[in-house]
Amino acid sequence: MDGVHDLGGREGFGPIEVDEFERNFNTDWEARMWGVNGAMAQDRSWTLDWWRHVRELIAPNDYLTRPYFDQWMQIYAALMVDSGIATVKELARGRSDGSRPDLDPPLKAEDVLEATRKTARFDRPVDRAPAFEVGDRVVTRSHGHSGHTRLPRYAMGRPGVIQASHGAHVFPDLKARGKKHAEPLYSVAFQAADLWPEAAGRRDRVFLDLWESYLER
Amino acid sequence: MASYDSDKVAQIHRELASHLPSDPALRVKALESLLVEKGMVDPAAVDALVELYSEEIGPKRGAKVVARAWVDPAFKARLLEDASAAIDDFGYLGHATGHLKAVENTDQVHNLVVCTLCSCYPFALLGMSPAWYKANAYRARAVRDPRGVLAEFGVSLDDEVEIRVWDSTAELRYLVLPERPAGSEGLEEEALAALVTRNTMIGTAVCRVPGDAGAS
Repeated sequence: MDGVHDLGGREGFGPIEVDEFERNFNTDWEARMWGVNGAMAQDRSWTLDWWRHVRELIAPNDYLTRPYFDQWMQIYAALMVDSGIATVKELARGRSDGSRPDLDPPLKAEDVLEATRKTARFDRPVDRAPAFEVGDRVVTRSHGHSGHTRLPRYAMGRPGVIQASHGAHVFPDLKARGKKHAEPLYSVAFQAADLWPEAAGRRDRVFLDLWESYLER
Repeated sequence: MASYDSDKVAQIHRELASHLPSDPALRVKALESLLVEKGMVDPAAVDALVELYSEEIGPKRGAKVVARAWVDPAFKARLLEDASAAIDDFGYLGHATGHLKAVENTDQVHNLVVCTLCSCYPFALLGMSPAWYKANAYRARAVRDPRGVLAEFGVSLDDEVEIRVWDSTAELRYLVLPERPAGSEGLEEEALAALVTRNTMIGTAVCRVPGDAGAS
């Protein structure tokens, strides 16, 4: 999706607001949102990539201005309305109309520690060999699509070199639509000069993790 | 069941934006209250998660891993080979660390981590990500103007140093293994860990021994 979330290389945002203080949460509501995210019952159809796509679909002005964890609130609200679990009216009032969704039960307090030790893996066995090897020269595809994808605009149609091969990983463009598919994933190295007009002569590189269907010879 | 319909969700976002309370704190409170009434969340579990991430899970974990790599060459080799397995020694495996990759800074190479498309971060190892990491300016500029970004963090590198920017576009998550600073030769592992800040493990700072004039 060619949205405002695709920020890599966009100009005009000004200096970084460097905050030296290493606190975990700036406000109580951000802490609550983080906790709700980990503890709430979820619809099994909410894949990680659908979740990310729902964030990308937040209206551009809101996406660029609303705080990060406020956007998480907006994501869950939209997921719930989309899945028929809650109405906009219920979310606005913070009061239920009485309906209770048929979902797996939420996390219990005594199970929190164990739950935080769970690690999701995204590599999957596939019965075909990767098309590229480390050292191969590739070019990224120059067109995306209007759904979720992890090929940023700044790296479309650019030459790179396969730096590492990671086996097959869940393919986000399809997982965002609830479809199971895995394909080879590679770390691809790009010379800064191949990405940015002002970077001629710089030896810096940018590395992206890209799926096989984003790449051509 | 999700619709997986982009147009439908964009419309839902617009409706929500015009009906939800205007203050984010009230919006989150409304969400949590509704989830409790629907039997979808146990507030005690939310409390427990907040406590864990306020007290226990944070950059001190990553710092211990880095200090171990500085004193134990065999561990460092394992960390660079399979960082997820290496942090499992410490019991740190968890949220967003299943495909962890450690990248090593040297006098020739400086690594910098970003997620331009959202704000992916190895939570179980480094805790909550800093505000600047999630901000538009960092996400936009880190891949294009890494030297300018580093200068704003007070880091200046020689022109000969190659900057490697890692844009976290898949489920791999990156840990920068910073250089062990000059002047730290006599320090024990625990004292070394105290030199490792969150930003040094993202690549926006370098480790220093306090008072050491030779650090750059």
